[in-house]
Amino acid sequence: MSLELLLIIAFSGAFLTYLSGKISSKLRDILAVVISITLFVLISCLYGLKIEKTFYTGFAGLSLILRINTLSWLFALVISFIGALSIIFSLTYIRQKEKTDFYYCMLLLVNSAMLGIVLAGDLATFFIFWEIMSWSTFLMICYKRGPALAAGMKYIVMSIIGSMAMLVGVLSIYSAFGTLTISELPVAFASATPAYSLFIMILFFIGFGVKNAIIPFHTWLPYAHAEAPSPFSAILSGVLIKIGTYGFILFIYVIIGAKIFLNLGHGLFSFRSLLSILAAITIIVPTFIAIMQNDAKKLLAWSTIGQAGYIFLGIVFGTSLSVTSGMFHFFNHALFKALLFLVVGAIEYRTNGIRDLNSLGGLIKKMPITFIAAFIGISGLIGIPLTNGFVSKWLIYKTLILEGSPLLAFAALFGTWGTILYSYKFLHNIFLGQLPENMKDVKKAPLNMQIPFLILSFGIILFGVLPGIPLKVINSIVSSFGFAPLNISIWGITSETGILNMVNIFTAVVVVGVIIWIIFKVGRKSQRVDQYDNYAAGAAIPKEKYSYTVDFYKPLYRMISPYCKDILDVFYKKIAEAIGSICDSVRKVYTGYVGSYVMYIVLFLASLIFVQLIWSIF
Amino acid sequence: MNIISLIISILLALITGMFFLGISRKIMARIQWRYGPPITQPLIDVIRSFSQMGISHGKLFDFGIILSFTGSIVLILFLPIGNLCALTSGGLLAVLYLMLLTPFGIALSAAASANPVSSIGISRQFLLSFAYELPLLLILLAVMTHYHTISLVEIVNIQANSGWAFGSWALVLSGIAYVLILPAILGVRPFEVAGAVQEISSGPIAEFSGKHLAFVTLQHALHTFAALALFVDVFLGGWTLFGLLNPISGTIWGVLLGIIIFLIKMLIVLVLGIFVNAVFPRFRIEQAMKYLWKWPTLISFIGLIIVMLVN
Repeated sequence: MSLELLLIIAFSGAFLTYLSGKISSKLRDILAVVISITLFVLISCLYGLKIEKTFYTGFAGLSLILRINTLSWLFALVISFIGALSIIFSLTYIRQKEKTDFYYCMLLLVNSAMLGIVLAGDLATFFIFWEIMSWSTFLMICYKRGPALAAGMKYIVMSIIGSMAMLVGVLSIYSAFGTLTISELPVAFASATPAYSLFIMILFFIGFGVKNAIIPFHTWLPYAHAEAPSPFSAILSGVLIKIGTYGFILFIYVIIGAKIFLNLGHGLFSFRSLLSILAAITIIVPTFIAIMQNDAKKLLAWSTIGQAGYIFLGIVFGTSLSVTSGMFHFFNHALFKALLFLVVGAIEYRTNGIRDLNSLGGLIKKMPITFIAAFIGISGLIGIPLTNGFVSKWLIYKTLILEGSPLLAFAALFGTWGTILYSYKFLHNIFLGQLPENMKDVKKAPLNMQIPFLILSFGIILFGVLPGIPLKVINSIVSSFGFAPLNISIWGITSETGILNMVNIFTAVVVVGVIIWIIFKVGRKSQRVDQYDNYAAGAAIPKEKYSYTVDFYKPLYRMISPYCKDILDVFYKKIAEAIGSICDSVRKVYTGYVGSYVMYIVLFLASLIFVQLIWSIF
Repeated sequence: MNIISLIISILLALITGMFFLGISRKIMARIQWRYGPPITQPLIDVIRSFSQMGISHGKLFDFGIILSFTGSIVLILFLPIGNLCALTSGGLLAVLYLMLLTPFGIALSAAASANPVSSIGISRQFLLSFAYELPLLLILLAVMTHYHTISLVEIVNIQANSGWAFGSWALVLSGIAYVLILPAILGVRPFEVAGAVQEISSGPIAEFSGKHLAFVTLQHALHTFAALALFVDVFLGGWTLFGLLNPISGTIWGVLLGIIIFLIKMLIVLVLGIFVNAVFPRFRIEQAMKYLWKWPTLISFIGLIIVMLVN
């Protein structure tokens, strides 16, 4: 199985899907599903392979290389997995909309570009696929038009700034070392000065930071996630921003190497601790902003930034536990955040596009399976024990505490408590409480939406109880970076400073739960009453909106809202406005009258003559 | 042995928790110059409501209660009670996480009804826990950093050798902060915002009756027990008593005496908490949050900085 073939299938599949849509929409749907599942199967067969192969040599004197190892395999697997599920989900979601062919084509194209990035073996290939991903993502974000256009514009401007920084980095590396091959660069960087490594890292980290939405490069994300079609939001949040994570891992641990990275600077002012502080801010601030959101997708989008902060913190903190936890959290976050975005998609689909948390409610009776999926996804997001999020967060807390960084550990832990607040609000305002009058005949989610729900929910629980399955793969990656390997068992992790045994906890919870359930059943049977048959101290219960969901955490809003503004967003907008007005004033030169252009020419010639007369240069 | 210690610790927690509920009602009554109910009254109430027919708002209503009670019991298994500790994997971090499973379960259950009083109670409960978690996390991080471990059992063992954490000068500020937030964790006045009886009809539990109410009462007992046990384990040295037990540690008498000393320590802390409950009026939720984010946070932050400087 060669890697070129994989990418050819991916890219040609995207265009074939578009063309087949012109013939019949059934054929297009089948083709899209088959291609995405084929990619997933092919990639999972590549486990354990180490290939490096030049596939083209004539690109400006450079050879373009593809390669795969366990690191890129893990990322490729998650990309193709979430991509396939999101295509399956889209089958009904997008059916009634316009430009469906274009939608599938772009969805597959984004996936192929991401596969290209993680399979790239040199920085030129990496950059080419990076650009394909950037603009195809832009087209997907703008799919709905209207406000989505502004969101897409914000994304593409920031993205271009990021990729320009990367381009400068690529050119600088080429002129310094004469090679762009990733497997040759570690040797080259071993002899480079620390200042040069720092310079390269900063250039690339701007590009990766924009994709990974690290503060201060996060401002595009809430709008883009909220305005994109929901299945694509799942890809965006689940895997696309993790391409930034891949870039960080690639540069810190593969190309530059942990030794150089960890020794840049001293103490509090080392590069690593500055990045850790940035990560801590990325955890705390977006969490607070997420609590205040009333749009289901915006809430999840801000939460994505917060969770990306955990992943980033794990990766830049640079101990073997922390890098493991960062990569494991990337894996887990892809599962539960994709699930949550798909849940919002299903609700949007059934309620004709409502995602305002204040006007939803009581949907548990209409969409029970969606509720269970949302509950499991939320549990993973909080990191309730027995879900995969618990294990990855536990690892990061532990390493932060034991390595003597309690303040960073505090940021991580406190972020989790904020997560509980907005997660419960999400669950409560959509599914619990009172069903609005206009949603009395909402149907349950269609089967093709329930399949991704079930698969993802199962994954969240499975990797929570048996975290050893992904951790073994991640451990082999992390030990290839030169870290001491961890002692991983299928049920958890053993180390001299504390054991985590998830099967143990699982057994305890199941046994205790079953006993309590039996005792509960033995007790006298309760009378089933209507939801509105409530205790009201003898007062009459009003017929209209009765339950309390709007402004769910009002006392907190009042306290934090003066401080919780996205200052950076305002700042960037000001800059954009300033640039706009400068350009406007420059544009006044072009008056549209031939007379004034003639005047410019005459003035220019006159100045040349003047210069020649005084200094006689020409 | 492990199974026996498991069952013993659950039974011990349930019995002691119910006894604590009874004794707090009795002491409250004596402070208010009443005679008060017998100490066994909460237990009698639980048995009575378990045999009565209540109402249910559906499957989620039942599931939430079971989830929250399961969470409480598993939490007890993670806490060292005297020398007994059934589960150790995950340590203090797992304890912190399990402590949030209980309000989450109750919240799911209560929100199955449409009662706004329940929802207001839930909202306040989450806000209050969010508010006290800020100082609590700083405090526990100071302890974990100082002792360089995340295992509760080890924290207790270190205190057995080097004296109570409350007595060590590096952790005394954290201990003081913990005392300041303990009423909030226990949910007693002045922090009785979530279950305010006169204001929002006991908040989240307004809709519970019959066996649901019985389970919620038991869960409340376990929560009181767990909150006190965590404080005693982390700051008052668990089963230790100035090295008096060291000669007989390891024997069955040592274990028994250890548990008794542990329970007595918990009782003393509880009685102090009841005194606070008896004399203070109730905060509004935003007053409670402002208080918790002001003094306890400041003190615990300074405590953490001291610990970081010492290490």
